[in-house]
Amino acid sequence: MPTLRKIPLTIISGFLGSGKTSLLNHLLTQADGRRITAMVNDFGALNIDAELIAEKHGNQIALTNGCVCCSIGDDLMRTFIEVMQQDPLPEHIIIEASGVAEPTRIAGFASVDPQMRLDGIVTLVDASAHHLHSKDPHLADNYAKQIAAAHLLVISKTDLADAETLATLRDELRAAYPQVPLAETMHGHMPIDAVLGLNADAPHDLPSGPPSGPMDHNFVQWAGHLSPVPRHEVIKRLETLRPHVLRAKGILTDCDGAYVIHYAAGRVEIEPFDGDASGHFVLIGTPALPDNEALAQLF
Amino acid sequence: MSIIYQAKSIRTMNPHLPHATHIAVRDGHILAVGTKDDMDGWQAAWGPLELNTDFATRSLLPGFIEGHSHMMEGMFWDYHYVGFYDREGPDGTVWPGLKSIDEVVAKLKEIQANRKDKDAPLLAWGFDPIYFTDRRMNDADLDSVSTDCAVIVLHASLHILNANNFVMEAADVKGADNSEFIRRDENGKPTGEFLGQLGFYMAMRTTGINLLAIASSPETLVNFANVARQTGVTTATDLVNPMPEGSEKPMRETIDADDFPMRLVVAFQGNSKEPDEAVARMQELQESNSDKLRFSLIKMVADGSIQGFSARLKWPHYYNGAENGLWYIEPERLGEYLKAYTKAGMQVHVHTNGDECTEVALDKIEEALRAHPWPDHRHTLQHCQMATRAHFKRMKSLGVGVNLFSNHLYYWGDAHINITMGPERAARLDDAGGALAEGVPLAIHSDAPVTALAPLFTAWCAVNRRSSGGVTLGNGTQNISVEEALYAITMGAAYSLKMENEVGSLETGKRADIAILAEDPIDVGAEGLKDISVIGTMLGGIVHLNQGRD
Ligand SMILES: [Zn+2]
Repeated sequence: MPTLRKIPLTIISGFLGSGKTSLLNHLLTQADGRRITAMVNDFGALNIDAELIAEKHGNQIALTNGCVCCSIGDDLMRTFIEVMQQDPLPEHIIIEASGVAEPTRIAGFASVDPQMRLDGIVTLVDASAHHLHSKDPHLADNYAKQIAAAHLLVISKTDLADAETLATLRDELRAAYPQVPLAETMHGHMPIDAVLGLNADAPHDLPSGPPSGPMDHNFVQWAGHLSPVPRHEVIKRLETLRPHVLRAKGILTDCDGAYVIHYAAGRVEIEPFDGDASGHFVLIGTPALPDNEALAQLF
Repeated sequence: MSIIYQAKSIRTMNPHLPHATHIAVRDGHILAVGTKDDMDGWQAAWGPLELNTDFATRSLLPGFIEGHSHMMEGMFWDYHYVGFYDREGPDGTVWPGLKSIDEVVAKLKEIQANRKDKDAPLLAWGFDPIYFTDRRMNDADLDSVSTDCAVIVLHASLHILNANNFVMEAADVKGADNSEFIRRDENGKPTGEFLGQLGFYMAMRTTGINLLAIASSPETLVNFANVARQTGVTTATDLVNPMPEGSEKPMRETIDADDFPMRLVVAFQGNSKEPDEAVARMQELQESNSDKLRFSLIKMVADGSIQGFSARLKWPHYYNGAENGLWYIEPERLGEYLKAYTKAGMQVHVHTNGDECTEVALDKIEEALRAHPWPDHRHTLQHCQMATRAHFKRMKSLGVGVNLFSNHLYYWGDAHINITMGPERAARLDDAGGALAEGVPLAIHSDAPVTALAPLFTAWCAVNRRSSGGVTLGNGTQNISVEEALYAITMGAAYSLKMENEVGSLETGKRADIAILAEDPIDVGAEGLKDISVIGTMLGGIVHLNQGRD
């Protein structure tokens, strides 16, 4: 069996009203067996259907799909303590950060928790209000920090901005953060695998052959089968695909044995794998990823 | 039964009779104040008054009111104090100050050598590195105490802690996540120093000590009251408490006990719930109000601290070039909460440290008042350390009061001049003189346990404005007189809590809450204020004496 695995922490950051709750809502409906704990500011805003609520006590709501929502109530530390007392522990923790939170501060909790690791910071940029937020007299610096901290930038509410505004915003973000993957969403719709990774903490469940091709019009997926390959070599190849690859995961082998590699927007996590490595390897990226043939060539 | 207490002097804070020698107490209240002859007139209708001369050589003042403290002050006394100054525990034990890092480490070694369970976590608190400028404490210091158990030293500011490698290994402190809240040496190796809540979190996750449960336990509350009582306090605040469902009942049981020596005003953590639910919860809490326990305030925290570089400052921000601080709540959300509470008639105390934050808080209060006019809301800015005269003028127009963090002048005054604010802005740090000149209702505070709880010391800070490095902040216009400072720690604070009709001055009909002092602070004057010995207190007519004072 795998050794004690660390729970990945994903931080969703962005200005008040940038669509964090919609995204979170959408992720929870796609949980499909993943036990996600979501730390949120306001249950009410989540708008959870009454029939999806299994149990409610104190500041935690258990959902029928195995996920749990915890209200932060301005006490992040207390909420983390409570979440890490859950039995069983969650498979993934998502925090909906407040509109003024510095995501790197929140990430610090994972740095000092023996059972947690930072999976990534996702920052939403509201296409319809970027021009206001970036000039807010009191919050512009904070807003810039949230964007700078992101491992994945998501332009949200694309339906509320005209084409020209959207194009300018894209160019601005690409120029400022050339290494950070840039995705787009409306109404918080994003594939869960693109945000949280491929069933992040169940390596043996990696699907043997997910379809390659578009997931929805904003994301593409590619799956391949890799013969034994040194881990540093895989990282090197992935780096050539930045910023277009959001997530990658493989169960591979090299001369040191079988390993699982998780790649999330430049952040690499490698752990030993007990058992025979299947060689399965899956990538999720933006439509700007090279085509299937080129990817097959690369790997 | 009525008792007349004779004193050497009584400073009443009542402008109609500022000075007296006798005070009559009946049924927990003040029957009369004046001379012996004034007392005698009451006997015809109220029966014989018994004369008590226990305090005939003492000076009596209204019991002091600490308008901004936290009951957390009581939580650390089961652990080991390693601060720079002598500090008196709730049982009257004096913990001697330690004057160097080596002394702190030697003390910890001694504790470790003498304790039975050498594997239990060793927790110390009150460490204050501002006095040790030659070097910082590191993991090697604490590894020298033990490598086989957790050794953790909390700083006095509560914003930082040091840990040994036993703790860092247990926490599996990750090198990859280059958190700016983990201090590192030039090679990138963590030095054992953790900033912000991270340290507390790590300490709890690795030792199993639930500091959150301890912080709200009855023992902590009792310790807090006893520490406060020893400094002459009869009413204190717990200025932010999330009050989880059901927590009010045990709290009230503890506080209503006759031997609990203090009144407590609890400020409900304003954004621990959504506005509607929070208003409902506050109404529910108020059903538990008693003579000694009050749920009457809402606390909102809007930014961080100046010395932690997390306060929001107006341009040009920090003197040393550090980037501007943090909002602890979206200004827009602060506005929503202020509107909800103002509409519900609930008084809000807003924590604002930096001047940008003060300005935004005033904007939001103004918006709330335009939506829901309320002439005597008495919303108050807490800390409000960088307010300008312009801010005070605006506070006056809006009916907003201020509770300034005067202890900062002493503890961090030098840092504010040299590092955070620079000399010009540091001159106006905690400008009590400016607040009074502009007509803003004034209180001053310690923010215990961040700094030591002792209203006479806080008064001394506001009067003298002298830093621990011996520098005087400002040009004299910011200082207040001894009389004004004494008013601020009694009636000023009472007013900020809407308790001025009950406590804060010694006059007929008010509660018999009294600070019993060895000397008259007005005779002692500015320099000696902080050194006046507190003999004890009277709370609702019940005397609580400090041990070994004269
Ligand atoms: Zn405070």
